[in-house]
Amino acid sequence: MQFGVFTVGDVTADPTTGRTVSEHERIQSMVAIALKAEEVGLDVFATGEHHNPPFVPSSPTTMLGYVAARTERIILSTATTLITTNDPVKLAEDYAMLQHLAGGRVDLMLGRGNQGPVYPWFGQDIRTAVPLTVEHYSLLHRLWREEVVDHQGRFRPALAGFTATPRPLDGVPPFVWHGSIRTPEVAELAAYYGDGFFHNNIFWPSSHVRRIVDLYRRRFEHYGHGAADQAIVGLGGHVFMRRDSQAAVREFRPYFDHAPVYGFGPSLEDYMAQTPLTVGSPQQVIDRTLGFREFVGDYQRQLFLVDHAGLPLKTVLEQMDFLGEILPVLRREFAARRRPGIPGGPTHASLKVARDAGQAAGGRVLEPAPVAPAPGTGATGA
Amino acid sequence: MTLDRPVRRLVVVSAGLSQPSSTRLLADRLAAATDTGLREAGLEPWVRVVSVRDHAQDLVNNVLTGFPGDTLREAIDAVQGADGLIAATPIFTGSYSGLFKLFFDVLDRGALAGLPVLVAATGGTARHSLALDHALRPLFAYLGALVIPTGVYAASEDWGREATAAEPALAHRIRRAARELAAEVAARPARVAVDPFDHPVPLDGLLGDLPDR
Repeated sequence: MQFGVFTVGDVTADPTTGRTVSEHERIQSMVAIALKAEEVGLDVFATGEHHNPPFVPSSPTTMLGYVAARTERIILSTATTLITTNDPVKLAEDYAMLQHLAGGRVDLMLGRGNQGPVYPWFGQDIRTAVPLTVEHYSLLHRLWREEVVDHQGRFRPALAGFTATPRPLDGVPPFVWHGSIRTPEVAELAAYYGDGFFHNNIFWPSSHVRRIVDLYRRRFEHYGHGAADQAIVGLGGHVFMRRDSQAAVREFRPYFDHAPVYGFGPSLEDYMAQTPLTVGSPQQVIDRTLGFREFVGDYQRQLFLVDHAGLPLKTVLEQMDFLGEILPVLRREFAARRRPGIPGGPTHASLKVARDAGQAAGGRVLEPAPVAPAPGTGATGA
Repeated sequence: MTLDRPVRRLVVVSAGLSQPSSTRLLADRLAAATDTGLREAGLEPWVRVVSVRDHAQDLVNNVLTGFPGDTLREAIDAVQGADGLIAATPIFTGSYSGLFKLFFDVLDRGALAGLPVLVAATGGTARHSLALDHALRPLFAYLGALVIPTGVYAASEDWGREATAAEPALAHRIRRAARELAAEVAARPARVAVDPFDHPVPLDGLLGDLPDR
């Protein structure tokens, strides 16, 4: 099982001091968090992608390439890469290039993006987000697996005889997670391709997370990638720790009360009861996190959100020290609870082994049937 | 005996604020009259009242966080699972109350499509009665609901006024609206909600029937 951190990259005023960091400071903080992730023994650092203030990470592969050069071990990922407003051709190229530079330590999580204006800024329409996602992803999937691609769709110019370069490292495309909070169609897409499904598990009650993960697992099995409990599931988590749980609550409360998403809404206590947010002692975080598998089953990746809502970098790095401290316990206890036959977290090495073995390990080397072209798109230009 | 009669779920959403509330009083009278109408049609009404005030904090939280708390979820499910709806609000500043709107803002998309709805409102004077037709009807039209022809508005004075040749008494309007709602509910089978998590659209259906760009 893999553990890591994911960051949205927001620039938010610290409500306790009123200070807002500059974009430059925030970008440097994100890098510091990535380096710290490696230092404390985590497995994954994932950055968001945004194209509007107050967020800074518009160019994930630039940042991850820089982090790759300064780390040895951690997997560099995204949370999320916008499959809607990015050109899948450029995604295929950028992430294959990053994969080469990082020695295979790269995967990515695709999401649609929920900021309405970003779609028209990039020439798209949020109302077509689901078909846009399906078409863009089916093209990205082919660009990494087929040497020469002809493509005609509705959302980008046609391709004839196109080869995406560089080819994926060792001929093994980066592993793809599909992230969604509430959209069953995204679970369906992940299941169809035998890819991973990630739920951010921050903004929604566990009863809902269970439903969408269940759907993904059922459909993963339906499409022949393996048994439902072998599907590749990732979860987010949202924690704030101090030795003393009351001290944690006291310190975190002003950040919670003013946070961009839930600020000025429910109380911290209500939100902790309704969602997986855990503010307390390291032991409380361990207990709560181990409980996640009770509603999604054995899963492969756990990412924590620790930097947002204006928390100063010093505090964030302290949180990561706590993560490093509880990590051996989490690894041991998850492993002890894990049922046999459950795949581990995907890595370049594991995907290469599965590919070379020429058979399905978690089903990911099975090629799905091509997506049927939509009506009216079959004709090639004359 | 009653077990043999087909069940229809009648849900009342009342956004009255005070205790007691004239909006709730109107909603209860409409519910009782509709209950009678459904029984006369051979149906077994299950009546459930949602008092929006009870969910006031949860509604604000839902708008901010994007998900309902457990008790609000249960109320939303009740409304979305209804076969007939009575929606009653006080008129504030020329329209439905903000709290009333907030409740309908957090429903799942398309959840009220085809649902027979009786709209009702209360106010201090009869001068605001057109809010029923200028505010509530468009709201439920947007939601795809079927609003029955008679809406019922009760001004304070209506609670003690006799019928005239020009204007029937409140009790008469209540009976007429309830009769229309009961007839619409009785005319259709019980509604069945399709859950996208139980019945996903297969991938080749997700490209959609879009116009070519």
